[in-house]
Amino acid sequence: MAEPCSVLTRPLIEGGKNLAQVTGDVCAPMERRPGALWWVAFLTAFGMLAAGVAAVTYQIATGIGVWGLNNTVGWAFDITNFVFWIGIGHAGTLISAILFLLRQRWRTSVNRAAEAMTLFAVICAGIFPVIHMGRPWLAYWIFPYPNFRGPLWINFRSPLAWDAFAISTYFIISATFWYVGLIPDLATVRDRARPGLRRKIFEFFSLGWDGSCRTWHRYEKVYLLLAGLATPLVVSVHTIVSWDFATSVIPGWHATIFPPYFVAGAIFSGMAMVLTLMIVARKAAHLEDYITVRHIETMAKLVIATSGMVALAYGTEFFTAQYSGNLYERFVFLNRAAGPFAWAYWIMVGCNVGVPQLLWFRRVRTHLAAVFVISLLVNVGMWFERFVIIVTSLHRDFLPANWTSYRPTSIEIATLVGSFGLFFTCFLVFCRVLPMIAMGEVKSVLSYGHKPKEEA
Amino acid sequence: MQHYWKSLEEREHGALAEGEFPENPLQTPAGRNRRGFLKAAGFSFASAVLAGCRRAPVGKAAPNLVQPEGILPGRAVYYASTCTACPAGCGLLVKTRDGRPIKLEGNPEHPVSRGGLCAVGQASILGLYDRLRLKQPLAGGKAVTWDEADRAILARLDSLRSLPGAVRFLTGTITSPTVAWAIGQFLKGFREAQHIQYDALSSSAILDAHQRTHGVRVLPRYRFEKAEVIVSFDADFLGAWISPVEFTAGYSAARNPELTTPPLAWHAQIESRMSLTGSKADRRIIAAPDEIDGLVARLAGEIESGRPEGELARRLLAARGRSLVLSASQDPATQALVNQINHRLGNYGATIDLDQPSYQRRGNDRDAENLLREADAGKIAALFVAGANPVYDLPGGEAVRKVPLVVSFAERLDETAAIAHYVCPDRHALESWGDAEPVSGVTGILQPVIQPLGGTRQLVETLAVWAGAPRPACEIVRERWREQHPDDFENFWEATLERGFAAREPKQPQARAFVSPQPPRQNTSQAGWSLVLYPTPGMLDGRHAYNPWLHELPDPITKVTWDNYASLAPGAAGKLGITDGDVIRVAGLELPAVIQPGQHERTVAVALGYGSRLSERFAQAGPEWIEALPTLGPNGRIGWNAAPLARFENGSLRYVRAGVEPVKTGRRWELARTQDHHSLGSPRRPIIQEISPEEFATARPAGDPREELWPPDHPFTGHRWAMTVDLNACTGCSACVIACQVENNTPVVGKDEVRRKREMHWMRIDRYYSGPPEAPEVAHQPMFCQQCEHAGCETVCPVLATVHSEEGLNQQVYNRCVGTRYCANNCAYKARRFNWFEYARQDRLANLVLNPDVTVRSRGVMEKCTFCVQRIQEAKMEARRLGRAVRDGEVQTACQQSCPAGAIVFGDLNDPKSRVAQLMRSGRRYRVLEEINSRPSVGYLKVVRRRGGQRHG
Amino acid sequence: MHSRILTVVLVIALGFTLALLGSRSGRVHLPGNQQDYEPVQPIAYSHRLHAGELQVPCLYCHFAAEQSRHAGIPPASVCMNCHRLVTAPLGALHAEEELAQKEKRPPRPLVSAELRKLYDALALNAKLESDPARTPRPIAWTRIHQLPDFVYFDHRAHLRAGVECQRCHGPVESMERVRQVADLSMGWCVNCHREVNRTGVYGPAVRASIDCSTCHY
Repeated sequence: MAEPCSVLTRPLIEGGKNLAQVTGDVCAPMERRPGALWWVAFLTAFGMLAAGVAAVTYQIATGIGVWGLNNTVGWAFDITNFVFWIGIGHAGTLISAILFLLRQRWRTSVNRAAEAMTLFAVICAGIFPVIHMGRPWLAYWIFPYPNFRGPLWINFRSPLAWDAFAISTYFIISATFWYVGLIPDLATVRDRARPGLRRKIFEFFSLGWDGSCRTWHRYEKVYLLLAGLATPLVVSVHTIVSWDFATSVIPGWHATIFPPYFVAGAIFSGMAMVLTLMIVARKAAHLEDYITVRHIETMAKLVIATSGMVALAYGTEFFTAQYSGNLYERFVFLNRAAGPFAWAYWIMVGCNVGVPQLLWFRRVRTHLAAVFVISLLVNVGMWFERFVIIVTSLHRDFLPANWTSYRPTSIEIATLVGSFGLFFTCFLVFCRVLPMIAMGEVKSVLSYGHKPKEEA
Repeated sequence: MQHYWKSLEEREHGALAEGEFPENPLQTPAGRNRRGFLKAAGFSFASAVLAGCRRAPVGKAAPNLVQPEGILPGRAVYYASTCTACPAGCGLLVKTRDGRPIKLEGNPEHPVSRGGLCAVGQASILGLYDRLRLKQPLAGGKAVTWDEADRAILARLDSLRSLPGAVRFLTGTITSPTVAWAIGQFLKGFREAQHIQYDALSSSAILDAHQRTHGVRVLPRYRFEKAEVIVSFDADFLGAWISPVEFTAGYSAARNPELTTPPLAWHAQIESRMSLTGSKADRRIIAAPDEIDGLVARLAGEIESGRPEGELARRLLAARGRSLVLSASQDPATQALVNQINHRLGNYGATIDLDQPSYQRRGNDRDAENLLREADAGKIAALFVAGANPVYDLPGGEAVRKVPLVVSFAERLDETAAIAHYVCPDRHALESWGDAEPVSGVTGILQPVIQPLGGTRQLVETLAVWAGAPRPACEIVRERWREQHPDDFENFWEATLERGFAAREPKQPQARAFVSPQPPRQNTSQAGWSLVLYPTPGMLDGRHAYNPWLHELPDPITKVTWDNYASLAPGAAGKLGITDGDVIRVAGLELPAVIQPGQHERTVAVALGYGSRLSERFAQAGPEWIEALPTLGPNGRIGWNAAPLARFENGSLRYVRAGVEPVKTGRRWELARTQDHHSLGSPRRPIIQEISPEEFATARPAGDPREELWPPDHPFTGHRWAMTVDLNACTGCSACVIACQVENNTPVVGKDEVRRKREMHWMRIDRYYSGPPEAPEVAHQPMFCQQCEHAGCETVCPVLATVHSEEGLNQQVYNRCVGTRYCANNCAYKARRFNWFEYARQDRLANLVLNPDVTVRSRGVMEKCTFCVQRIQEAKMEARRLGRAVRDGEVQTACQQSCPAGAIVFGDLNDPKSRVAQLMRSGRRYRVLEEINSRPSVGYLKVVRRRGGQRHG
Repeated sequence: MHSRILTVVLVIALGFTLALLGSRSGRVHLPGNQQDYEPVQPIAYSHRLHAGELQVPCLYCHFAAEQSRHAGIPPASVCMNCHRLVTAPLGALHAEEELAQKEKRPPRPLVSAELRKLYDALALNAKLESDPARTPRPIAWTRIHQLPDFVYFDHRAHLRAGVECQRCHGPVESMERVRQVADLSMGWCVNCHREVNRTGVYGPAVRASIDCSTCHY
């Protein structure tokens, strides 16, 4: 964590910007025509999305059998992707809510993008619980609603039912939070916009914002309240997701450590994803002065911290399994490390525990390319963490007669690709149409670090 | 629907429609602009849709014009009959609903089968609804009418009547007195015509041996229930040898710790491959196929001298008159030795019954061989083939092609029918009148339970027509029976139809005093490889190769479906560098290898009954999607036909062939196996538990599961359904698997789906090896939904599609299931099955076999064993109607009903006198995965293991 | 402003359409709800006449209800028990007889149009003897009370428990053409089961299970 004294002495925003410059810089990408780079990125992402849509359509038309699942391994890619995306979603709320309450000023230049990322990630995540059903057209049955069946309610004991509520809540709150944060900037854009449709739209969404003192005052209050509301969600959502596994009887799932383990993992992967995106975005949108090396470094520190927590969880799992003396538990963990899916396990350990250790070195932390690569690897590692937990626990459980293996089909892979396509498509569009950086908040920290010096 | 049109008119004529419809929204000023107008259309369209959705499709109900006596819609009627799926002739009860048979069950009163019914028998009902069954006669492959066929054939025959020895009638073993008589009558019209019987799965040598030693060419009846020591040389009598259901019943009766007075029968199996029977043996001796006959001779010597050297002789001599020695050898000399052993031990008249011999095998290999030779030499002018498929299952059967007139009576276009000049399709047994005498003195009756589904004609009728005296089959059969029972026939006949069989005065064969045979020439066992051909309990000789259920039934030992293969010992495979699925060449046959623990090092074993023409129909089996793999093999069939590899050797068909080296081809063929892992892991998981007779004698009764801190969620005030499975009795024969599939409308998913581990069987049989791979011990464990009291599946289902009932059932509600598969993941037994696709239901004829009392599950829905809840409901309703309580044994699950060993017991745990309640208290009872406190309603009875172990002979 | 008026008008219009639907079919139902289904039957058989006026007991024709899960639609042979003699409405027959007596002639045989269909189905000739020249063909009635395939209802238990037919089928004896009175929804079944578990069926206590597997298997 950046200690306050340094915050007082060193500037958060470099290049000694004045307020007008800030507005100009941030709005530039929205007012400029999209460059070739953007188009390339967008078309790629959109292509991936299309592939995903095709795969899902085929799956729903033909049957879930087009996935590689079997009688023993009932979940694999589907729930892996779901947990993965939910995890990604965490950083946004963390940065915008918790860091806000902790008065971490540096958050201002990244929180907007991070929140947007959260929303898109949750959208991606939300798709999987629906399409993984055998009869997705009946998905609405997992919500309690009055009916002519007696009435027949849902099973409130089922973690899947909890998921439905947890995720929808999380999405609504983060969406609101993000939108409220946007309002002042939307107003700014509105004022810069030439009369016409664009202006009309921003006019509508800025809810008639007049930067008057009272408006600002109310705004701050709402923002603070929402931050308070969102904070517990950061913890709750992934806790509940982890219960999908923790409340089961399957060795390797049935573990009390799961909630903290999952939350740490989520923040870990979320931060990594923010880094990945920010490092690209600052280059692409020429926002080096706003998203400075220092920001990257701070987030890198967060990454290594959470990496440590995850490592601890891995260790604990093994220890408890052996210490319990339960032969099924013991076997599952040995099987993870040495069984047919050992490769996946070691990718996970390598990427989540090994690679991040490099970030202990300042030179690595401040070397953008390095951080970028590491963040990518962490994302890979975290995807495999979920894969390992789900598949290796299922494929060899109690009765050896049931033991099988699992191989994904092309359809499943296409679906995974598609979810990334959706995510990046949304994010790229976001970069074009909305201010990527919270101008209002950045301006509030411009004054930090008087007389910007170059060597600082 | 009018409203729908109304709004369309609005769309078309806009304002024009105004006057017509006073309530027309378009009369408002808004109506003039287009968008408002479209909105309007939208609105009324919405309401139109509401209107449209109102009605479900109109259903029609056409009641009988005149209600048949005693038949009510929705009530099952059972008819007694006899199974013809193989010559064993087990008793049947045919369950019919609304005029169509939907299930075959064993007839508990039948003296031969005693209530069991094997997998093949269970599955044979599908043959009735087989859309590829021949529906009318064929002449030269073209469909003709019966008149045309009769005239043509008779025309050809007339020229032959005077020709000596020109006509041959080839059949499998005929157990039906009536059919045998009819064939005789028909052949009377020809000079020196012959009726020849042969068995694709021949036991000819046993009959020949008795010809030598006792002067009668019959198969004795083996009485396992009377035996205390059973020594079997390679005879797979629990699996596919002669009469498995009968033998299994006797065997388990002799080995049941609760019911049998000690000592329990001790069983030694001497064999080269791991057979179902071997897997149950107390002592399993692994010997090369060419050594086994030598071992018989050695044993004979020890018995003769009365100086036992080995354990076998010792035990046998200790149990004179209470022992039983069997051999599947096809060498008459060896069989004669076996007779000698049994004679010396005084087993004839005790455990071996020659006075009431068995007619389940009557074939004479020598005759069959001669026939083929004659055919090859062109001596035969006309050949009639019924209930046999020589072209497919006899080595050199191709010779049949040389016969100028071949007439087949096959129900389907099998290999022989395909080359036959005329095919006069026989009827399915369930459409036929007939009888069967499996053992002397017990004659079962066949009665039709449905109108014939095609223009077929029963063999006896056809023969009657050709013999110039056309009569309906019913009369012919009655005629024959009246001769047996002239007095008070009608009552006798009624009674017989009701019971399904009649005990007749057995025809005493004139067995003369025992004549010791000359000792056989000791065949020196050369150290080369040998090939063993064997039948599997599911496919037998391949006559049911049309049956998808039997193809999808996992082999009880290897758990392979949809293929046959060459099994090799682990050591041998290691030496040759062969792994599971490597295609190897054996005696010109190329087929995938399977590594089989407990097999002899120098033995390759290949199953018979595969690669049949009848299996070409399965090209479409299983769902079709982009990554789906074919069900058929490279030869366009299921498996490879090994029958041509058998050979005739001095008068009998030999299934063992020396000097065949397996060669690796380098190609691979992926087999569809339902079980990949075969050991209980280390440390050994307490899934299969064993107990020694001594321990059992002193074992305390099993108690209830541990008390819990909080009160139970389910009081179970009324019934409390539970089941026990006796692992000691279970032989793994898999009759229950098919019984469950038939009863519960379980779909066939095809090879690719099984390969992907998506088989749908609710009842599966897990098979575990323990001990060294070259000589393992085997345990079979029927596994299915354990109906846990603390069920993992129930807590996790978000939509309450699976919940616990007041009677201890773990209910699965298909129509509520959305298919999250969470329940299956959280099932410790992985007993749940998921409908990954909309599995094949488009064969409308085959759909007639569906049980109307069980919902057909659609795609995306979870399913599992329900304890046959439909039967529970039926019994409860019936009891309620009659105003009494449900009696113990009134509810029989499908698996329980079919089990020849009586290993499965189902009932009400709340009734302390019920059998299940008593067995639950047995000292052998344990529950699988009790330690995770799922509290299953299924109790398993421990295997009684007498550590005889195994060794190489 | 303008659009607001439009919307109001349209909402009224929608209400009107729905009302119209309602008037045609009792009321608007959710998809799949067959309540008030009242199809035309191949023979205009009147339950009002038979069950109501003539007081033929339900189980006389629907005799399977006591022994089978299905109540069953009576086979034509059951109709013939009476309609071998009664070939037309009684009134008409009597009138014909009186007329015949007045005119001193044997009464002409009268056969009503609807019964003619029955005789045709059974392939009977004018003298009501079966006519070998014609082939009997069963009467295809239109089913009214249809449960989904995954629901198993059993008449036996309900009769035994003393639930009278009308409780589910409504006042059939007063219906000219049979109408589905209950909506046959799961709630309708379950709530009745719950109720009788508390109150019993007209006094005597019963155990009406509300387990899923009572109806779904």
